[in-house]
Amino acid sequence: MITTARLRRAVRRETIGVDVGAALNLVGALLRYLSLAFLLPAAIAIGYDESPWPFLAAAASTAGVGAGLEAVTRGKENVGSREGFLVVALTWLFAAGAGALPYLFSGDDQLAAPIDSYFEAMSGFTTTGATIVTDIEALSQSMLMWRQLSQWLGGMGIIVLALAVLPRLRVGGRQLFEHEAPGPEIEPLTASIRDTARRLWLLYIALTALCALSLAVVGWTGLDGRMSFFDAVAHSFTTLPTGGFSTRTRSFEEFGAASQWVVAFFMILAGANFALMYVAFVRGRLRVLGRDEELRVYVAFLGLGSLVLALELVSEGEFAAGEAAVRHAVFQVTSLMTTTGFASADFAIWSPLALVGLVGLMFIGGSAGSTAGAIKVVRHVLIGKILRRDLDQTVHPEIVSPVRLNRFPVDEKTVRAVIAFVLLYIGLFAVGALLLTIDAAVAGVRVTPFEAIAAAATTLGNVGPGVGFAGPMGSFEQFSDFSKIVMIALMWLGRLEIIPVIVLLTRSYWRA
Amino acid sequence: MRIVIVGAGQVGSTVVEALHDEHDVTVIDLDAARLSALSYRYDLTTIEGNGASRRTLLDAGIREADLLIACTSRDEPNLIAAMFARRISPETRTVVRTTNVEYLDAWRERELDVDLIVSPELETAYAISRIIGVPAARQTDVFAEGQVQIVEFDVEPGTGAAALIGQPLRKAQLPENSRVASIIRGGRTIVPRGTESVEVGDRVIVIGSPESAREWSSLMARDRRKRLDDIVVFGGGRIGVTVTRLLLDQGIRVRLIESDRERARSVAEELPRARVFHATGIDPDFLERERIGQARAAIFAMRDDPKNHYAATLAKLHGVEFTIAVVHDAVSMDVFERAGIDVAINPRVVVAEELVRFAHDPRTQQVAMLEGDRYEVLDVTVRPDSALVNRPFTELPMTGSVIGAIVRNGQAFFPHRDDMMMPGDRVIVFTESSRAQEVEKAL
Repeated sequence: MITTARLRRAVRRETIGVDVGAALNLVGALLRYLSLAFLLPAAIAIGYDESPWPFLAAAASTAGVGAGLEAVTRGKENVGSREGFLVVALTWLFAAGAGALPYLFSGDDQLAAPIDSYFEAMSGFTTTGATIVTDIEALSQSMLMWRQLSQWLGGMGIIVLALAVLPRLRVGGRQLFEHEAPGPEIEPLTASIRDTARRLWLLYIALTALCALSLAVVGWTGLDGRMSFFDAVAHSFTTLPTGGFSTRTRSFEEFGAASQWVVAFFMILAGANFALMYVAFVRGRLRVLGRDEELRVYVAFLGLGSLVLALELVSEGEFAAGEAAVRHAVFQVTSLMTTTGFASADFAIWSPLALVGLVGLMFIGGSAGSTAGAIKVVRHVLIGKILRRDLDQTVHPEIVSPVRLNRFPVDEKTVRAVIAFVLLYIGLFAVGALLLTIDAAVAGVRVTPFEAIAAAATTLGNVGPGVGFAGPMGSFEQFSDFSKIVMIALMWLGRLEIIPVIVLLTRSYWRA
Repeated sequence: MRIVIVGAGQVGSTVVEALHDEHDVTVIDLDAARLSALSYRYDLTTIEGNGASRRTLLDAGIREADLLIACTSRDEPNLIAAMFARRISPETRTVVRTTNVEYLDAWRERELDVDLIVSPELETAYAISRIIGVPAARQTDVFAEGQVQIVEFDVEPGTGAAALIGQPLRKAQLPENSRVASIIRGGRTIVPRGTESVEVGDRVIVIGSPESAREWSSLMARDRRKRLDDIVVFGGGRIGVTVTRLLLDQGIRVRLIESDRERARSVAEELPRARVFHATGIDPDFLERERIGQARAAIFAMRDDPKNHYAATLAKLHGVEFTIAVVHDAVSMDVFERAGIDVAINPRVVVAEELVRFAHDPRTQQVAMLEGDRYEVLDVTVRPDSALVNRPFTELPMTGSVIGAIVRNGQAFFPHRDDMMMPGDRVIVFTESSRAQEVEKAL
């Protein structure tokens, strides 16, 4: 790690190998354009007769900071592959900062502390869904919608969106795309990465609209009278990005069975590979779904998890054997495995076995190329294959067997990257859990080790709810400021899949 | 017939050897020494130059030639020679040797304007796979879209064929739909009349349906329960990979050993179902550890002959029963067979067979050579005015050539004494090479 003083000295002597100016310039441009996102909640505020000023002020500040950054730095036609890491990491830090501004400007008590509003914004953009707010219904309609919208923007990725519409990112965009897109490898849909980004966003928008419409229909037909049109749109904004923010403190417990089934279905879609879905649904080649190894394992995990949880719920007497037990099992397993974080019931008070199982699911995650977080199914599949090959090699030292995915060989570089990622993930989780445990003791907050573990897992995996006071119906407000900073860092690292952030901490990254 | 041959390497020489007697042969090569060696042995015209050049082809008389055989070791000059020949002289038929599977595929899809493309690797792999697919057979060939098979066996003591040995063929219980085409005893050919019998030590050549070929092979197999599974291929070159793929396609388990790390990796990527090892085939520890000795058969397809020889001998010591070696140098052939390696196959001979086939009558659809080039199996369409049609077989003269099968309206059947040939039939004929032209004329 390098200190500011040394960095300054290095810059002066020009021994630094990263063009920080160009990177900041691009971040400025991205911020300037992100400021447009505030216009939607501003419009909603006007529509609901609320004050649009927090959003307009936030838009102005964000645009101002962005323009300022652009003015003081010299831009380049394109950023190099090295600067890409810095751009992605910084963009997400700044975006969360911008996202926090409306909370601060609104003067709402629940998010008055800067650290709290920053936590809420980071939780939003990273599609975590962990909230500081204890009484969500007390927020204004426009503020509620901003929370939901921040998750929707973060789900498919701010930079992927920028890639789709900003002409400036024509060169070097592939690198940025890869840093932000979840999963070990991306398969471009078309030759141009820009076109790929566009198609992915269009599919994302289409699925979101479909989800909103389905929920609205459930509401209109009276299947679930509590699902208003506002709620339908708000929840579709957080379902497709596997976000998990709700307009209700008690999340989906407030809504009926029909809504829960609809959302469970869309969560399953959101946790599947979008590129694969594009080929299957838009290009009409449905056969690719059956052939995809990751999808099969993903569905198997979901099915098996739901079955075990349903049996456990029935045997523990939580629910009578019937639709409710199956529904809650499917909903909760899907919600936590796809790292969404909705709750159809307060699972934090379920049996220890169910709880441990659900926290375990937080490590699985969705598919590569989905909006889900955590380790991702494809890496689990690969790790399983790597281990099997290793056992084979101990008996037959000369065997040469490439690891295969969907029948295609995976190169050894990717194999190493997958192992490195999983190790880093587990390591960060352990460090995070440890810091949270120690800090809780120091700050005098009552946090059990299991609650600390759950909090680290849920933030690093971008899931949302933890257990204990940070459970699905609770909030993270009671944690100390230091713990909140730790969790902000975990969310940030988890969303960008660790490497683009961690690499900034290495000396070789900065050296010329 | 006037034939222009481009390339005087091993394939070229083999082709020249088979064709120089009956045809007017011109050979083109860049290497003057090779050409003079050829012209010393055979009566032919030689031209020193690049076969892929128009001038050289014109000098060689491509305009008057009936056939161009481009068989240098490099694919592209072969193809270019054939392309020029097609342009200069559209009547000349062209045959190209290639090692590239892509060209072969392109040709099958009619993207390459060449009359025949032959790949030594593929042909050799087919030959090996046929031997493995039919255990105990020395050589097998398939005719008439797979309906007719020709199989060559060594009759050994202690086989299931004991009931057959010593019996006059007329009385012996032979598998249905098959007949003995020839018996080779101590280098002499015996015409298999009904009174003759098969003896231990004979080599018999059988023509029959694929089912009968399988029956024959189980009769001739040393251990009747033996099913060839678990085969080890040494060498991940093109031949090794192709034969491995063919065997895997037959549902046989294959282990492949390749000494180059990069190559082993790419072979493993190409063949998911094979077990690929990065090791040298001559490491006794490795052979022991991987229980190579328990394999039913081993194929040696490494690049050089001495290595194949050594590895095959070592594998035999470790207990491998059946060994097949790819031989690159014609001289090694005898060394291998003398050393107890069960079958030695020379890719150049295999490819030469394919090339020579084209030099024969245009009606001839397929030629196989057996016993080096002593025998040929012809696939001929019968002329309506042939003197042999519409006469029962018992009335036909006995010449030592055998009509093994008749294909009528796409259906193959195996003729009996009272059957007769009809105009337009395709017949599979087994004959001595020296009589091949005579047989073609008669039909």
